[in-house]
Amino acid sequence: MKEKVQQFLDSDILEKYLLGDTSKEESLKAERYITMYPEVRETYDQLQDNLEAFAKMYARKTPEGLKEIILHSARKEKVATKRFYRYAVAASIALMVFAGSSYFLWNQNKSLQQENTMVTNQMNNLQQNMQNQLEDMRNQFIVLNNPATRKYAVNGKREGKELKAIAYVNPVKKLSYINVSNVPDLPENKCFQMWAEVNGELVNLGVIKNFDEKDKLLALPYAENAIGYITIESEGGNTSPTVKNIVANISY
Amino acid sequence: MSTLIERHIVSLLAEKDDKAISLLYEHYGDTLYGVAYKVVRDEDLAQDILQESFIKIWKKADTYDPSKAKLFTWLFRITRNTAIDKLRSVSNKSDKEVQIDVSDVYNLGVSGIRPEFMDVQENLDKIEPKYKIVLEALFFEGMTQQEASEELDIPLGTVKSRLKIGLRELGKIYGTSITQLLLIILLS
Repeated sequence: MKEKVQQFLDSDILEKYLLGDTSKEESLKAERYITMYPEVRETYDQLQDNLEAFAKMYARKTPEGLKEIILHSARKEKVATKRFYRYAVAASIALMVFAGSSYFLWNQNKSLQQENTMVTNQMNNLQQNMQNQLEDMRNQFIVLNNPATRKYAVNGKREGKELKAIAYVNPVKKLSYINVSNVPDLPENKCFQMWAEVNGELVNLGVIKNFDEKDKLLALPYAENAIGYITIESEGGNTSPTVKNIVANISY
Repeated sequence: MSTLIERHIVSLLAEKDDKAISLLYEHYGDTLYGVAYKVVRDEDLAQDILQESFIKIWKKADTYDPSKAKLFTWLFRITRNTAIDKLRSVSNKSDKEVQIDVSDVYNLGVSGIRPEFMDVQENLDKIEPKYKIVLEALFFEGMTQQEASEELDIPLGTVKSRLKIGLRELGKIYGTSITQLLLIILLS
């Protein structure tokens, strides 16, 4: 260790470092030795003192007025630096405002696009709905006006005695409709559900909910010799009809 | 080499207080001007160099690290390198070669002698010329040791040893002048 330090001191790195003549690696080495070894630090401090003493021997009276020139240019430099910082701050603020507004606009654009998609979807749905309804109306019109249409009166029995419905079946157009005109009151937890037996399979036609629309025709799936049923089911409907609760059947 | 004033200047520099420049000029201006003059040997050029160096010092104030160098060492490096760069650019322009004028060693700064510098002038004369030549070549001419060896026609090993011994001698001279000063104070 001592040898290494002595070797370093014998080399001229420290003297070169003193003058700022070292390469990057030499500077790092010098700084490492100065920090690590007190004797190197001591030598370095001594060299620095000697350099100052030596340089002082060459001191020369500075000319009159040079100080003022130097102070003036230093102040100018300071003002320029300050101005630069001021511009930098202004630029940063402008950039932040720009970034903020960009984000805001981008966000707004995104939500408008989403809204636009939603409105388009709604319009499409509405169009589809209207087309379906129009189709339905046309079919109803065909069924009701066609001479081949047969009309069946449906009367309920048991609890559904007061149930009155009329089914319209057109074998030519293969369309059938039912108009439920009167529905007896049921306990709150019960409801009427319609079914159709088509080709031996029972198809759920849904719960009869709203009897305010008394003149509305409900479409029934058409099949040869199909049978329609109305049953009383628990509220919300059932997946298969409860046979003992059949209150009406319609053969068509 | 007042550490207190040094510390004060350093803290002013760190705060970018322009009082620092004023203080630096008062305490180191003459020495740094002397360094610049010694390198270029021209009054006008030396003034330009001093001005340029002070602007550099002012701009680089935040890079100064007291743990790496004393304030004067840092100031000296900046001034010396600015002067050497200037000298090189001037010599390139005039296509003149930088040469060591050996005779200059004996009439150092004659034009610049002022009574207040007499004591340091005496100290300077105490340094043996063989060391002084090497120190000046390395410190003020910006020569590498190899270049100094070639220019002065001295073996490289001798350049190295004269640099070391020369720097040590400086310490002795400085040390004795301090001791003398203390003796004078004590005796009076």
